Amino acid sequence: MDPIAQPAGRVAPHPIAREEGLVRVYVWEAPVRIAHWVIVLSILVLSFTGYYLYNPFIIARGSRVFMMGTMRFIHEVAAFAFIGAGIVRAYWFFRGNRWAHWRSFVPIRRWQWQGLGEQLQYYLFLRRAPNSQVGHNPLAAITYLFVYLLMLVELLTGLALFNHVLAGQDRLLALSIGWLPRLIDIQYLRETHFLIMFAFLAFLVHHVYSAVLIGIEERSGLMGGIFSGYKFFPSAFVAADPARRSGEAQIPAVPAGRSHQAPPARPVPPTAIRETNLP
Amino acid sequence: MPLHDHSLPEALALRGVSRRRFIEFCGAMVATLALPSHYIDQVVQALDKKRKPVMVWLEFQDCAGNTESMLRSADPPIADIVLDLLSLEYHETIMAAAGHHAEAALERVVKEEKGQYIVVVEGSIPTADGGVYCTIGGRTALDIAREVCANSALNIAVGACAWDGGIPYAKPNPTGARGLQDAIPGLNVINLGGCPHNPANTAAVLVHYLTFGQAPALDQYNRPLFAYGHIIHDQCERRAHYDAGRFVEEWDDEGARNGWCLYKMGCKGPEATFNCPTVRWNSGTSWPVKAGHGCIACASYHFWDSKSPFYKRLPDVPGFGVDTTAEKVGWVAVGAVAGLTAAHAVGSAVRGKVGGGREAKDAGDGASKS
Repeated sequence: MDPIAQPAGRVAPHPIAREEGLVRVYVWEAPVRIAHWVIVLSILVLSFTGYYLYNPFIIARGSRVFMMGTMRFIHEVAAFAFIGAGIVRAYWFFRGNRWAHWRSFVPIRRWQWQGLGEQLQYYLFLRRAPNSQVGHNPLAAITYLFVYLLMLVELLTGLALFNHVLAGQDRLLALSIGWLPRLIDIQYLRETHFLIMFAFLAFLVHHVYSAVLIGIEERSGLMGGIFSGYKFFPSAFVAADPARRSGEAQIPAVPAGRSHQAPPARPVPPTAIRETNLP
Repeated sequence: MPLHDHSLPEALALRGVSRRRFIEFCGAMVATLALPSHYIDQVVQALDKKRKPVMVWLEFQDCAGNTESMLRSADPPIADIVLDLLSLEYHETIMAAAGHHAEAALERVVKEEKGQYIVVVEGSIPTADGGVYCTIGGRTALDIAREVCANSALNIAVGACAWDGGIPYAKPNPTGARGLQDAIPGLNVINLGGCPHNPANTAAVLVHYLTFGQAPALDQYNRPLFAYGHIIHDQCERRAHYDAGRFVEEWDDEGARNGWCLYKMGCKGPEATFNCPTVRWNSGTSWPVKAGHGCIACASYHFWDSKSPFYKRLPDVPGFGVDTTAEKVGWVAVGAVAGLTAAHAVGSAVRGKVGGGREAKDAGDGASKS
């Protein structure tokens, strides 16, 4: 299993990358990308409609309007899209490649702790270079882990509120979440649900910024990666991927079942990256 | 001749309540209990035959608001009929006896009617410092309740205080106030929360008990489902305005005059369950939302703490000032992150211009990989 391998049926390295000695790595598989974008869109819709449910800032006129009912309907539909994406992503924690696997999010290895410190130093201007990784850098990974947990809390509080709206009439929902409002009053669940929305919005600001910033620093095609799935690295860098070295080798870069062939990996001098990348 | 030696029809006739009125009352009770109308026969027959059970009404940390709610209920005269359904032997607010005579009446009931009388409890029970914060005739509320409620056939906790501690329980609760079922665990209690209880519900529970010999179906808080099983918001006559998006935004604005939804004024109807909108008050005349004030969820668990502030949608965020809304906290947090991000972007741009350039980065990378 070579991490720089290309999925069968796809053209081997990108022309520019091949010329300049970079290799194209298929990092973010389709389920990861689809889940990512469904989550992004659903959170935007959920935030807008959810805020409207908290503070209906448009006062309807006329007799044919159904503002609140419509907003709530959109909120509920978007919520189930969000849950669907969450289920796909959760499945891919176990089924996906080493960069999407749950192990990559939990800092249990020394290189992860070390990288976490380095990346923190980078953000605090105490270090020139970010801790670059083929997948997530360790600080990003633990941040995403935290965001996933917030999503889980948001999902549970949301279902509890939905169950409250349905007055427990949906048996399955009532059985699965009816316990929560007995532990914590529905008003605090509502408040938690509301406050986590702001956490998502704050995360959105930071996430887009840091992705652009690291994309510029690394010139790895990071921003394009979440659309295409591919990132670009020198082959030596890919070969040294600690996610591969430190025991995750049993998780293939390309999931089993897909045949693939390795392109010729060419060692690249460190300075080569500079000229190679797109501005 | 003691009143409870009369049959109910006799007692009602003595009070001038006509047979027609009594049947009307039975019909109203069956409707309140959400039973099919053919149960009216059963209720009438059961109440006609019943020897009147003895009832005692205990008041602890209370404002007598539940007593008032019962006594001041207008036509049909629920209070009259309920008072005639049962033989009320002890009630501090309305009994003629006082002092030792009153306490002797209570003692007699506990001794002579053991296991057969009905207890209604109003008010919370203080448990701190041995319960010294409420004593009657030299005995603590805790002590009285333990004896009287443990020997009864049925205990009914009316009002928020007797159910979950009510306002004495609200933070900081200096007297260690508890509702009846929490102060004395293991009791057989039917809770009729609300501030105050709705006497129609309490009467319906009594009628149900007298007719069928058991409590109506109860929820997880031992409250009857017929009264506490539905969300107020779903029964509200202003609900259509909510769905349409027409809201009162200020007291006495155009929306308020048009009877629009009070959601933005902090109405807790969407959070609360109660049959307030259907049973209503003052002979079904009105209820708070109809009168133009949002619901404060007075029939919800620990509502003084969990449903306040009454005029805001969400509770205040712990650790912030009382006037800091969750929304303000949220937007400030987002703004702070955005500000820090912008500052960091400037810093990064400067670093890009003056920093060590790629070689430094690559050296750094090399170091980190080794």
